[in-house]
Amino acid sequence: MKKYFYIIKTQIIKTMTYEFNVYGNIIMQTIIMITSAYFWKALYRNQDNVGGVDADSMLTYIIISSLLSVLLITNVEKRIEQSVIKGTVATDMMRPINVFGGYFAEDIGSIIALFFQNMLPIFIIGSIFIKVPKMADITALPLFIISVVESFLINWLIAALFGMIAFTAINIDALIQVKKHLLRLLSGSIIPVWFFPEKVANVLEVLPFVYIYQLPLSIYIGKGDRADQIRGMEIQFVWLVILAAIFLYAQKRATRKVMVQGG
Amino acid sequence: MISVENLSKDYLLKKKAPGLSGALKGLVKRKYEEIHAVKDLSFHIDEGEIVGFIGPNGAGKSTTIKMMAGILTPTSGNVFINGEDITKHRKEVVRNIGVVFGQRSQLNWDLRLGESFELLKHIYQIKQKDYEATLDVMDEILGIRELLDKPVRQMSLGQRVKGDLVAAMLHSPKVLFLDEPTIGLDVSSKFALRTFIKEINKIKKTTVILTTHDLGDIEELCERLIIINHGVMMEDGNLSQIVDRIAPYKTLVVEYYDDIAPEHVRCEMIEHEGNIAKYKFMKQETTAAEIIADLSKEKNIKDVSIEEAGIDDIIKIAYGA
Amino acid sequence: MKKGFKELCHYMDVTGQCIKMAFMTIIEYPSSIAGWLISNPLQFIMGFAIIKFVVESFGEINGWNYGQLAFLYGISVISHALSMIFFVQGWFMGYYVIYGDFDKYLTRPLGVLYQFFFTNINIFGITDLIPGIIVFIYGCVKCQLAITPLFLVQVIIMLVGATLIRGGIYILIGSTSFHTRSAVDFGQYTQEIMDKTTMYPISMYPESMQFILTYLIPVGWVSFYPVSSLLGVDNSVLNGLAVPFVTLLVGFIVMALAGAYFTSGLKKYESAGN
Repeated sequence: MKKYFYIIKTQIIKTMTYEFNVYGNIIMQTIIMITSAYFWKALYRNQDNVGGVDADSMLTYIIISSLLSVLLITNVEKRIEQSVIKGTVATDMMRPINVFGGYFAEDIGSIIALFFQNMLPIFIIGSIFIKVPKMADITALPLFIISVVESFLINWLIAALFGMIAFTAINIDALIQVKKHLLRLLSGSIIPVWFFPEKVANVLEVLPFVYIYQLPLSIYIGKGDRADQIRGMEIQFVWLVILAAIFLYAQKRATRKVMVQGG
Repeated sequence: MISVENLSKDYLLKKKAPGLSGALKGLVKRKYEEIHAVKDLSFHIDEGEIVGFIGPNGAGKSTTIKMMAGILTPTSGNVFINGEDITKHRKEVVRNIGVVFGQRSQLNWDLRLGESFELLKHIYQIKQKDYEATLDVMDEILGIRELLDKPVRQMSLGQRVKGDLVAAMLHSPKVLFLDEPTIGLDVSSKFALRTFIKEINKIKKTTVILTTHDLGDIEELCERLIIINHGVMMEDGNLSQIVDRIAPYKTLVVEYYDDIAPEHVRCEMIEHEGNIAKYKFMKQETTAAEIIADLSKEKNIKDVSIEEAGIDDIIKIAYGA
Repeated sequence: MKKGFKELCHYMDVTGQCIKMAFMTIIEYPSSIAGWLISNPLQFIMGFAIIKFVVESFGEINGWNYGQLAFLYGISVISHALSMIFFVQGWFMGYYVIYGDFDKYLTRPLGVLYQFFFTNINIFGITDLIPGIIVFIYGCVKCQLAITPLFLVQVIIMLVGATLIRGGIYILIGSTSFHTRSAVDFGQYTQEIMDKTTMYPISMYPESMQFILTYLIPVGWVSFYPVSSLLGVDNSVLNGLAVPFVTLLVGFIVMALAGAYFTSGLKKYESAGN
């Protein structure tokens, strides 16, 4: 456990080293958030309520989505690809810690640093320039927190699984892009899927993506009743279990493959 | 051929505090330190010379050579190649130079070596006839033709360095810059590289300027050495001149039949262990023969040998200064 | 004059060789082209589908109907694709600065910026071009546009201008690395901001933001102004045959500024090592 804490600490320092990246990221994310806010304001100009959500809730949705996007940054897929390309997989796997545990700790470290570096500033900027993103129903807070933790895990597991494809088909850059696009467009991070045609939305509700962004965000803005939210979280949990099982299986196979072939 | 006048280069270096609190502080306030990498260098290099820049890591030799090749912009001072200022007329001046920088390659990793040459042929507008002629010369020295169809990513380091050398020479530059060219090479590749430098210097009258840490490079190649430390020129001259200047002495090692070693007025006994004594003497004051003659009058001598200050001593002295 | 022409021929000749080598590189790695062929069109087809969903939920966007939005989107994606082919390397300029990869360009007798972009020309960008052209044609059909020679010239001119504006912005952002000495890849963010400001009419944003997008970061000229003049929407803003040419002019100005900023940055270039 101590080793993992050490990795986390190192990663926090690493993430904070380049102050220009930090400020650059804040500026870029702020621009994106404010543009999105105006986008929705313009769409709602002549309407009060579309798809059961009003303009005000939509702005909250945008701000919290920006914050979540910071939390949902992963580096694990790139790390795996790099270790395969550079041929360091085998030695990485010989280390006295689990490789994937190490990658997980690194991502946790980044997120802790990014929480202070990016999420807090973005929260403050959003509150000043757009609106204070108040939660619709504060009693839902425990649900929200649990769903965010689960969405973080689901997101990380999907990233790790995509990364593991690198063990078979070395260059996964394009695949990482595919994943990124799927996640960006089908998770409700930019546009909630309740604006999609019903059939499409129904299909998406079966896939794991909406449980990464849209579910926690819906809970936050209080869309739907408590029963809907609980049902959503049940599906989210099922996805977490499924992905974790696939991950454990894939990890076992990948490790065996690397050990036999020696990378 | 090359004139360097009052060349200086300053850097701003970020200062980093250690640990988590250091990283936090760095986010808010960053301290900078000004580094004077090269200070007021001036020298002149003639056509056909092979000049070696030596000095410890961080001495400023790479910075100097990069300013001479037009890669870095000097903080002050000028570099003239063939009478033209390289910072002012970069595109014209670089037609006269070739560059091979250590482990950084200008070859296209994904394609066969010949494709990288083809691109350079277009960039430098080399005529097919001249291209073939240069390749013939290069083939004789390095055996480059057999590598032309090999993808660069499949080459060994030695082969890649050969590729980079030829790439730098395709447009027959008058000056060739090499930054630590032998680093990481095996013995036979080093040999090939040194032969190459000597040959192009002889056949094409190419002026060669290199930085190196390798004693073999210095001994075999460099007619002239420029020793740099802390961004300042310490020595400039050929090897024996520098040796005479900073190590004007020899060491005489005498083996006696017993443990008693006599002193000598015109030299200093620097070591005495068992039946072996070492005497250091100045070359212009006396000769080894004289000392041996004097010593043998006092005691029976079993054996003698003379140690001269070599290139490694020179470097030790120069770096230590 | 004659010298200029000779120099132009030299650059064209080298460009030809670079393109040839780019194709050879693709042939070396056939599996990655397959990946990009799926990935890039997927992104834009899905993006386009989402615009459709938004229009269906909210009706017109600021007076732009679905066909007009498709046309705007098509122009945006095509200019994006062209900028990916020629200028995508700008996103990675920071890495070149840190690892000293400008050394080789500085020791060759051609423009540094030219070599930086054209020896790394990204033929894969064509995979972005295909969905762009499809949506563009769809938009033309929906808007029932008469395809005249003048129209084609206007479209081509504005695409060239738009590509230059995008490229210039990439250079400006990338060149900051010379001063900060850090490798940052703002590509993803840049694209997200560009998407939001070129795929939708900027008239939907508040006036202060429109001012910025017109004069300071002239992204409005990439698609919004020329397309609204071509389609005759948002009449109040700008109209006239010449608007696409203004885009071209803006493109030249942005490129010139970017080039100057890059050149000043290059003086601070420190290479790598000691």
